[in-house]
Amino acid sequence: MKRSMMKTAALFAACATLVGFPGSSKAAEEIRIGLSAALSGPAAFVGVSIRRGAEMAIDNINANGGVDGKKIVLIVRDDEHKPVKTVANHRELVEREKVIALLGTTNSAAMLATAPIINDELKVPIVCPATDATKITENKAWEEKRDNYVFRLGMFGRGQANFLVDSMVKKFGYKKVGLLTWTAGWGVTGRGELNRRLKELGEPAVADETYDTADTDMTPQILKLQGAGAEVIINYGLARENSFVTRTKQKLNNTTPYASAWGIAAPAFWKAAGPSGEGVLVSTTISIDGPQSPERQAVLKEYSRRYNGESIDGPPFFFAAYDAIYLLAKVIGEVGTDPKEIRAGLENVPEFDGLITHFKRPVFTRDRHDALTEDDMILGRWTNGQLLEVKYDGTGPYIVLDSNEKKYIDTKNLTLK
Amino acid sequence: MSAHMAGRWALSVGLLLLVMAPMVTPGTYYLFMLILVFIYSVVAIGLNILAGYGGQISLGHAALMAMGAYTSALVSKGLEVSPMIVASGLNVWIGMVAGTIVASVFGALLAYPSLRVKGPYLAMVTIAFGWVIWKILLEWVSVTGGELGITAVPKARIGSFVLTTPYYYYIALAAVVMAMILQRNLIQSEFGRRLQAVKYSEIAAASVGIDVYHEKVKVFIISAAFAGFGGALFAHQQNFVNPDSFEFFSSIFFLLAVLFGGAGTLAGPLIGVAVLTLLPELLHDFDRIRLIVYGVFILVTLYVLPKGVAGVFQRRPGSVAPGFSVEPIDKNRSDPAPVAGTDNPAVVSDAQSSPLLEVQGLSKAFGGLTALANFSFTIMPGQVHAVIGPNGAGKTTLINLLSGFYKPDAGTIRILGNPLKISSLHAAARLGISRTFQTIKLFGDMSSVENVMVGFELHSETRLWDSLFRTGRGRNQEQLRFEEAKSLMEFVGLGDHVNTPANALSYGHRRLLEIARALAVRPRLLFLDEPAAGLVSEEIDTLKDLIASLRRLGIGILLVEHHMDLVSAISDHITVIDYGQVIARGDPASIQRDERVIEAYLGTTADDA
Amino acid sequence: MEFFVHILIGGIATGAIYSLIAVGYSITFTTMRVLNFALGMWVMMGGMLTLTFHVIFGFNLLITLAAVIVIMVVLGIVGERVSVYPFFRTGSDVWVMSTLAVGFLFINVAELIWGRNPEPVPSFFGSGIIRFGSFAIFPQQLLVIVTALVIFFLLHVFYYKTLLGKAFRATAHSSDVTSLMGINTRLICISSYVLTSVLAGIAGFIIVPITFAEAQMGTVLGLKAFAIAIIAGLGAPRGILFCGIAYGALEALASGYFFTGIRDILGFSFMILVLFLRPEGLFGKPTRERA
Repeated sequence: MKRSMMKTAALFAACATLVGFPGSSKAAEEIRIGLSAALSGPAAFVGVSIRRGAEMAIDNINANGGVDGKKIVLIVRDDEHKPVKTVANHRELVEREKVIALLGTTNSAAMLATAPIINDELKVPIVCPATDATKITENKAWEEKRDNYVFRLGMFGRGQANFLVDSMVKKFGYKKVGLLTWTAGWGVTGRGELNRRLKELGEPAVADETYDTADTDMTPQILKLQGAGAEVIINYGLARENSFVTRTKQKLNNTTPYASAWGIAAPAFWKAAGPSGEGVLVSTTISIDGPQSPERQAVLKEYSRRYNGESIDGPPFFFAAYDAIYLLAKVIGEVGTDPKEIRAGLENVPEFDGLITHFKRPVFTRDRHDALTEDDMILGRWTNGQLLEVKYDGTGPYIVLDSNEKKYIDTKNLTLK
Repeated sequence: MSAHMAGRWALSVGLLLLVMAPMVTPGTYYLFMLILVFIYSVVAIGLNILAGYGGQISLGHAALMAMGAYTSALVSKGLEVSPMIVASGLNVWIGMVAGTIVASVFGALLAYPSLRVKGPYLAMVTIAFGWVIWKILLEWVSVTGGELGITAVPKARIGSFVLTTPYYYYIALAAVVMAMILQRNLIQSEFGRRLQAVKYSEIAAASVGIDVYHEKVKVFIISAAFAGFGGALFAHQQNFVNPDSFEFFSSIFFLLAVLFGGAGTLAGPLIGVAVLTLLPELLHDFDRIRLIVYGVFILVTLYVLPKGVAGVFQRRPGSVAPGFSVEPIDKNRSDPAPVAGTDNPAVVSDAQSSPLLEVQGLSKAFGGLTALANFSFTIMPGQVHAVIGPNGAGKTTLINLLSGFYKPDAGTIRILGNPLKISSLHAAARLGISRTFQTIKLFGDMSSVENVMVGFELHSETRLWDSLFRTGRGRNQEQLRFEEAKSLMEFVGLGDHVNTPANALSYGHRRLLEIARALAVRPRLLFLDEPAAGLVSEEIDTLKDLIASLRRLGIGILLVEHHMDLVSAISDHITVIDYGQVIARGDPASIQRDERVIEAYLGTTADDA
Repeated sequence: MEFFVHILIGGIATGAIYSLIAVGYSITFTTMRVLNFALGMWVMMGGMLTLTFHVIFGFNLLITLAAVIVIMVVLGIVGERVSVYPFFRTGSDVWVMSTLAVGFLFINVAELIWGRNPEPVPSFFGSGIIRFGSFAIFPQQLLVIVTALVIFFLLHVFYYKTLLGKAFRATAHSSDVTSLMGINTRLICISSYVLTSVLAGIAGFIIVPITFAEAQMGTVLGLKAFAIAIIAGLGAPRGILFCGIAYGALEALASGYFFTGIRDILGFSFMILVLFLRPEGLFGKPTRERA
């Protein structure tokens, strides 16, 4: 008995001393950026999109001589979508791997857990491409007007919900809105934000349904939304579950217009839903279908070459990570590699030409750590396998097909006319 | 002694290194990981007590940890409304206490549905419990914050001094050291023996008067308290809680850590948690195949280290029993005093004429098949009453009826003149009835003397408190029990095997040990269920002498046996049954002459007698 | 009322999935008192193999099914050897961990081979929908219900009409007696495990168009199926069929009349209650330590 305890103690001692002396740091010759994200499990498509976006941006920058002659190195950790792991990884990346900036993770809860540690202890700037809980950037340091190290280049929940609800209520003219959200991940934040916005507009949701990952048949939810007289169903979730929704709607002959947040702004949705996904509206920061800028086209081509013809799992996250790296490189090129300086520098970028959008305003300010606002969002309509941007004119919402044909959207059932 | 000293030394050096760690490690990452190891260890120690020692598998421990974490987070945040409490820094500590208590309550809640189920059924109950708690945490958004959890959980403070990572490290270290000590105290006490007895055989444990349900509820509560305390520590380390930390996989992690480290060993949980928490941190390059590594790791562990890492260092047969250092008993001391019964006033003072046991018209049928019909007999103090009959005659049914395992269809049973009311299995022992089993039921690899010590259950004055904190009274009691158990073993002739694990004894010795355990109950009545089965003739002679001396002590004995020699030699009275019917009764001499007996029983089994 | 029937149909279809998986737990438990704790991951393997042969290689359904069965037989033999045999009758519950370990391997292997994203597998019957009056069901869901019924019928025939099936049941009562009767108990253990594995494969094959092929597709399903096997009683296949379908229906009704989040809370609480009142399950026979 005693001997086994002795062994334990020895083991601990060994661990403690072994890891007590970190390897020599190369921080001087390279620019080290850390990424902790879910690279396995259900949220991995977000994490992998972020990783690939960052890696492609870094490779491009390094191929063009790096930043001030220094190469950028990305150090990646899998956090399994767990807050505890994210916090541990951030500590490790900053303290042991000596990274000078971080890219954010895939899990809003993890960002909420790590934000105070980053602001109070680690003091290294972090740019979030994905997590959308509003409180992530509007955190305690922000409230107390202290230095806030948390930035977001992705969409934030409040903005996305405002955009989506406003589009449906104001632009499409629906009065009775039903909600259908995922019980995990951003479905939870989304649900709260959507309800808030609907109340603000004086049109509280007529039904507020949820589903979880085990649901493959959404009959109860759809029938309840239908029974409540919803004129439009707004969803917050992922491709797989959304395809179950559209197929169940088809089964039940339900033609209620259907709109979703950016979880299904990816080819995976069409692949899963097939023709049942026709007409579904999606709010997103970016659509990779339809006409693209030359810079984006180049990146899309490069992506396809690197990854054997695959298409991007999560375009908004991929491009946000891509832009985040370029933004960091730009700031580091100007202020050097001191994390505190980088943080201040990020609040002082007057203009930035990213792939998501061309920021003709300061990307971040001291009070505003969200780069994108609801004005940067677009609404897309799934049309024959493509997510085409919805535009408006005096007659109503319309899309432009590849054939340059202009088609108006019937707001009754979202078909084209 | 030198190995002992070396162990102490190593332990001290290890502890010293851990104490010094915050002074030598740079930054917070290493300390953060070590704190996690300590916290998870507290939870795993709780699980080890339940699963490793108690044999009650739990795949829902993360939920109990969650109860501690959420309660502590909510209570400590809630108390922030009072400036006085905030100034004193007490809110966090109050939260931790509340978390531990709430988790214990939930442990009791979990215990009740777990009492009657085993194996996969028990696993499922605990999984379901964990799942329900996890879902409630997700769905009850107004209180728990749902998926996004509770942020800004207050940091631990003493007065206005905030315990940042290096200071909190000492809190966690103290917690794990305390948890280790409490675990050792619990396990190496009466409580620990009872716990393991229940694990090895619930029926045998009940036969010496252990209330099995009660023990299980107790161990669930204790285990949950550890988990809850760990959870509370966790909440104030992370300053954040959400359901992700308490999902099903976390429960698997704890069970795996216990199994890998060594279930049912003191150091096991600590080793398991340390390896499983720190290893992934050293193997970041293997993130892609993490689950493969995990799976292979589990399988290899189960193959190579079936008793876990700590199991490799476990005590060997013949070494000292845990719990106390054995002081050699003075050989020259006069004969063992506390042999069963002699200090039991009930047995000695009773008038020899009043019967210990009266059975009248006892009947039992199983699905139309009569196992026992209209059976009557009495046993007087100091009398040996034998019941014989061929296989399936109803002998074991009789013992099961008398010890409360079955309910009779008809008939009365009176003990010392009072009707027998057996509400549960352990009640028989309370009435002064103890028994042995046809198929030996000892408590696995507990030492022989511990097996006997379990038998003193009913005569114990030790409280859980005494065990937990090793009070002087508890230690005295332990020493007393040990000596008593030892004299009992000497009495049955096992004086040389005090520290041998029960399952390392020879078959005959195991039979004797079972009798010694039954005697520890200090019974008025002793049921021996085929005690000679499988014994060689010298062993039967020993048994004969043993029964004879028990009779002299005034114990009434019901002997169910095949073995005619033994029965004829020591019985005062014999009842012969066949197909549940009494076919003859009388003293040994008359039975041996009875035609029907010779025909129905002796004739057919004379060869193997 | 229409609402009720609509929901019931969807619920029964989901329940049939549970039954189909849950029966696997009972087979090995009947013969060996052991069960494959990671059965959901084996179902996932069946689904992934279907994805591979049917969608990626483009084989027709029969060849795909044959390939799935052959591979599941092999995996079953290996799985038994690796995760059950070494720990068989050690009297402990170690197989809980060893079979889970194999499940972890499966999940990781699936992520490595097939990626992390849910891959749709088309319905065997195209995108058609079967309609009767105002009610509707996906043909694939109907297939699951039919398959579940057929498999339970075949299993019944197997247990009561074939020699091997009778040997299975005999082993359940006493392996010592069985081996005395000249039946190779080792063979029975392996074949029961393989049967479980093949049934999991078939379940994966049938349900993958409904759930999509994904490394995690079987995890929650397997857990729920386990809960159902426990509610019914591990030794009672027909009880499992009934309980699975009833559980699916009640789940859907809970979603329909209360809300989705309460579904699992009610379901699992109900299961705890059942075990509290009837530790052997609703249809199981009581067992007790023998004195």
